[in-house]
Amino acid sequence: MSIIVNGDTQPLPEPQTLAALLILLSPPTPFAVVRNEEFIPRSAYAECCIYPGDRIEIVHPSVGG
Amino acid sequence: MGVPDIKDKLNLYGLCFASRLLLGTSRYESPRQLVDAIRAADPAMLTVSLRRQLPGRKDAGQAFWNLLRETNRTILPNTAGCQTAREAVSTACVARELFETSLIKLEVIGDEVNLQPDPFELVEAASELIKLGFKVLPYCTEDWVVCKRLIDVGCEVLMPWAAPIGTGQGPRNASALRELRQRAPHIPLIIDAGIGLPSHACQVMEWGFDGVLLNTAVSRAIHPVEMASAFAGAVRAGRSAFLAGPMTVQQLAVPSTPELGRPFSADSPESNQFLCVPRQQPA
Repeated sequence: MSIIVNGDTQPLPEPQTLAALLILLSPPTPFAVVRNEEFIPRSAYAECCIYPGDRIEIVHPSVGG
Repeated sequence: MGVPDIKDKLNLYGLCFASRLLLGTSRYESPRQLVDAIRAADPAMLTVSLRRQLPGRKDAGQAFWNLLRETNRTILPNTAGCQTAREAVSTACVARELFETSLIKLEVIGDEVNLQPDPFELVEAASELIKLGFKVLPYCTEDWVVCKRLIDVGCEVLMPWAAPIGTGQGPRNASALRELRQRAPHIPLIIDAGIGLPSHACQVMEWGFDGVLLNTAVSRAIHPVEMASAFAGAVRAGRSAFLAGPMTVQQLAVPSTPELGRPFSADSPESNQFLCVPRQQPA
């Protein structure tokens, strides 16, 4: 299956959880995750299932006014 | 109103700050310049955002996070770019986990040209976030009815603009801002956006506003660190002036030098008794 991570389509073996995906991607900490425009808290990574076509956003601290 | 006092603190949601300046972290030339500007401005809080990592800058977020921690300042995440209440509430939830704070600078933009807040979505988002336990600092205009609605839903702080974000025009609607100050005497009011010069910051502090939030006025100055220092002095001066109680403006001239006792006037010596020290008679 393929999913979209930060706007880029990525192939992914299925089935997957968000926790497994994050081990695969290993984004630098700290980060937070939004799936299909819904915030997924850290405590829910393990049971959050990833489906084909899901849009995952991984966000980090950034400058702001 | 009190007298100028070193114990005069800014109190926002029970958090006390000696500084009344809040500083944005965007548009500096380098992380080093940002750190130096923070040191010069000595701000109560730093505003930040959350974004995707740009390709090729994989560790930028981590480096910025380390920089923030080293400054040891209170972090105020924003919801910049959000245009609906739903989007703003989701962004605030992400920010709460990412920055480990329930403080949120709530921005819900209703117009892409002047980046004016959308009052309807703003009130809805503020209401929802307060219910979720957030400490909401809403970016709003000087519109009293909208401000009242924000207070009604539980906002303990308001952040009215001086002018559109990034314009540096200074307070565009002075009379409405001053009226807002009068209508909400017990709500901390922080002027957010549109400040361009230290004199603008000093001016709104003289009017009794509780603080000033700046970004572009510092980061896009020719010498941002020096400008940060100038703003810190201006905010302190304005606050001291407000506490000291400005004189009442007069319509007609009032001489500051005493009229009586001029050496070539026809005043009688009797009328000068308080103004002229009598000569000692020789013994």
